[in-house]
Amino acid sequence: MDNPIQVESLQKSYGSLAAVQGIDFQVCAGEVFGLLGPNGAGKTTTVEILEGLRTRSAGRVSVLDCDPEVQTLRLKDRVGVCLQSTRLPDKMKVREAMELFGALYTRTVDAAQLLKRLQLWEKREAFYTQLSGGQKQRLALALALLNDPQVLFLDEPSAGLDPQARLEIHELVQDLRNEQRTILLTTHYIEEAEKLCDRVAIMDEGRIIALGTPRQIQEKTLAHSTIEIECAEPLAETTLPEWEGAVKTTLDERRVKIAVVSSRPARTIVGMVKWLDERNIELADIHIRRPSLEEAFIELTGKSLRE
Amino acid sequence: MRSYYALFKSNMQLTMRDRSVLFFNYLFPLIFFFAFAEMFHAGTGQGIAYFVGTVLTMGILGNGLWGAGMRSVQDREANILRRYKVTPITPLPILVASMVSGWLLYLPVLVLLVGLAHFLYAMPMPRNWFSLFLMASIGVCSFRALGLILGALANTMAEANILIQLLYMPMLFLSGTTIPASILPVWAQTVGEFMPASYLVTGFQGIFFRNHTILNSLPAVGALLLTAVVGLFLAVKLFRWEKEEKIPPRNRLWVLAVLAPFLVMGCIRAYTREHIGENQALYRDLARSGTFLIRHARVFVGDGTVKEDASVLVHDGKITGVFDGAGPDPEKIRAEVVEGSGKTLLPGLIDAHVHLSAPGGISSNNEDYNVDKTMPRNAAALLYSGVTGARSTGDGLDASRKVRAQIASGSKLGAALFICGPMFTAEGGHGTEFTAHVPAALRDNIQAQLVRIPKSVEEARAQVRELKAAGVDGIKIILEAGFGEGMLYNRMDVALARAVAEEARAQNLPVATHTGDSRDVADAVDFGTASVEHGSWRDAIPDAVLRKMAREGIYLDPTLAVGEAYSQFYAGKADAVNNSLVEQVVPAGILKSTREFLASGQGVDAAKSAIFAGALDHARANLLRAWKAGVPLVTGSDSGNPLVFDGPSMHHELQLWVQAGIPAAVALQAATGNAAKLLRAQNRIGAIREGMDADLLLVDGNPLQDISATERISLVVFKGERVHRADLFDQK
Repeated sequence: MDNPIQVESLQKSYGSLAAVQGIDFQVCAGEVFGLLGPNGAGKTTTVEILEGLRTRSAGRVSVLDCDPEVQTLRLKDRVGVCLQSTRLPDKMKVREAMELFGALYTRTVDAAQLLKRLQLWEKREAFYTQLSGGQKQRLALALALLNDPQVLFLDEPSAGLDPQARLEIHELVQDLRNEQRTILLTTHYIEEAEKLCDRVAIMDEGRIIALGTPRQIQEKTLAHSTIEIECAEPLAETTLPEWEGAVKTTLDERRVKIAVVSSRPARTIVGMVKWLDERNIELADIHIRRPSLEEAFIELTGKSLRE
Repeated sequence: MRSYYALFKSNMQLTMRDRSVLFFNYLFPLIFFFAFAEMFHAGTGQGIAYFVGTVLTMGILGNGLWGAGMRSVQDREANILRRYKVTPITPLPILVASMVSGWLLYLPVLVLLVGLAHFLYAMPMPRNWFSLFLMASIGVCSFRALGLILGALANTMAEANILIQLLYMPMLFLSGTTIPASILPVWAQTVGEFMPASYLVTGFQGIFFRNHTILNSLPAVGALLLTAVVGLFLAVKLFRWEKEEKIPPRNRLWVLAVLAPFLVMGCIRAYTREHIGENQALYRDLARSGTFLIRHARVFVGDGTVKEDASVLVHDGKITGVFDGAGPDPEKIRAEVVEGSGKTLLPGLIDAHVHLSAPGGISSNNEDYNVDKTMPRNAAALLYSGVTGARSTGDGLDASRKVRAQIASGSKLGAALFICGPMFTAEGGHGTEFTAHVPAALRDNIQAQLVRIPKSVEEARAQVRELKAAGVDGIKIILEAGFGEGMLYNRMDVALARAVAEEARAQNLPVATHTGDSRDVADAVDFGTASVEHGSWRDAIPDAVLRKMAREGIYLDPTLAVGEAYSQFYAGKADAVNNSLVEQVVPAGILKSTREFLASGQGVDAAKSAIFAGALDHARANLLRAWKAGVPLVTGSDSGNPLVFDGPSMHHELQLWVQAGIPAAVALQAATGNAAKLLRAQNRIGAIREGMDADLLLVDGNPLQDISATERISLVVFKGERVHRADLFDQK
């Protein structure tokens, strides 16, 4: 079977504005694929073309072997979509929303089970306005799962949620991944992409500028690790030696914390520990920080994800 | 289908939870309903139906334009529609669900309003329920389609608000939905004809007042249906799921396509002015529906009896009670009171012999001979003068039918007409002289309207049948050889006249025969005329003939007024013009030209004046003898002749009768109950009795003692409407 989502040379222009300028990617069955990029990068446009909500200007697209532009209704019947910034009528109850949207699909799963799973069962008689932000987002997910879709599009699933709610959403996505569903999510939360995605494509100005596992992307970038050592007692010295691989070395005012940016952290750390040991200095803590996807992103795009 | 039902159900749930929708849908129309009912004194009974019609329409306007229009924009602006966009549905189920739920939410309004009107205001239940239901349904659907289109055309809530207001406000105020259309100026009524709401208002009112069905407003219903279908189709085409999608400005012109049926209808109606008449007629129904008690009046019943102190209750156009003394407590029956102390209440007078197409005075202005103006004007003059019924014994057929229909429908206010149409006469007979000087090209047409000149018995019969089919109420025959220089005519062959009379009887049409002398009378009585018009001007009607008339119930209509008028006309006397009532009803131009003509002495002819003075004496004597012989009598003025004016001449006729020696009560009986019988309308008019039409004349004083009191008119009631006499000559 072909990959559930295939995108080849996709282009989309709005008048003279080229929103998507020829991108290629494939999402494999059971994979969580992240589209990462700043606002205006073309993520939402790409996803909406795949969902059958927009037409494309050029290129080839296939979702579950459907051309979203041609077999639109058939496609919509089979995929689950969790859109950014939609809402339901204020006075619609959770249960009613499930009944209403359930009636629009040819095949649905048991709404009660779904509500229980998404911890909305207690809230089934609540009006939409009475739900918290996290509950609303869980309801949106519940609605997206009503037709038991094999392909899910999640557009910024945790945007605007508090950390607790975000964590719940993350757990859900991981559960869905474990059920072998194919998920395409867009986000501008790096941690989310790092945590949830098998593979990530970084988009900027309508192009994919990097594609791979989060690790691969990190490795491709030139960013260095940082080694931080906290000593049990202040150092006598005010100047530190140049350990092997060290690019930049700093000591805090209390002369307790040493931070070294290194291009070869494994070599550097050996030197550092040896040097401290020679002076009989106890290590209170040691910490190695790898370059984040965010730093990779900034390096790749020259932009910050969050304005 | 499942998705349609689910969306519909959801719509219903959401709407029922929305207090503002409930307010605008249910409470708002009710507030207006009660306000209107009180404001326009709808009282109890049929009148309230007027406001059920307007408030139903108001509800439809709100339901469609605001309910469907605003809601669709709201859902888009709030990103609710966006959520549906990712589901496997098209816009159609969303729009259809909106339409159906709006319709269902409207039905309780219908039931509620009709129920309230029935139980609180005693409105009779509409007979054509199904038409009412269908009309309301089609109305809601077409207005919801309009609303959906407006929703599709607006980019923002603010725009939607403006667009909706642009349609809502004019329709609210110019279509008769709040302000009765008929009291609006003509330009506003014309604008109203371009509005779908106008057709709903009149359609509903027709169903309530006149037991119309939906078929009576077929073109309007067609236009509404077309709007519903085209509107829904375009709403699907122009549907937008997201607020970010903007509508191209040129697409907004599509709204014209939806309104096109009404642009076309408006143009047609503006041209025919049909709708204005309809508005008048429906508003008239409201004016006729009131309840009032005329209290403590002397009541001339019209059946030969008089009640010295009685009260008469009028309700929904009918006399619903005649009481001795004060009658019921008006507070309890929600009746207004008309104090009748010192006054006399009579059945509306009936003039059995009028010609409405001539001005009555002397005029050289062609417009005064334009039947489309003169006939309604003269009918109004009759009503102004308390003459609520009249028989036209010879006027153009088409014009007669038209004005009779206008008055019957209530679109024009005037005396109820009974028409004979063209007059049967001989070639060169009386009646043909009016067309003698008309150019040959026009003469045929005018003759076809005004006279029938049968050449054979078969033709005579065929002509009667043809008139029956045309809808005349009676047949007029002229038997008259004339007298004096320039006034001699060919007399109709009696055999032909008999054929006409026999066929008329077979067709159940009363025959009015114009007679000039006793031979004419004898012949007319012999062939079985229903009434003898004029009698004899030249000799005494033999006792045997009078006895036969009495025996067979053949009426004498002596028309003294026309005899006197001619004698004065040829003497150059202006007595007839110098009368208050005449001056009130006759147009100033005609009054002036008549006075000038009489003063100039142009028409003076002493010999003719003497002939007519003698004729009047004969007619008086014949009347007196006929009364004594027991001949049934009716009053007729023969208006339209020079110095015989519609309305005032009826009063003058009564005075001439009393001067001739007839008791006032007999004269008044002839002018009311007897005339009603002759016109075969005695079950509806001519008497003050429960169940009769409320056609009434209230006069100051006591005409039984002083017959001229009939001219001192206090109030004219016509079909239950207290006629605004001052407005009669200024009808739209």
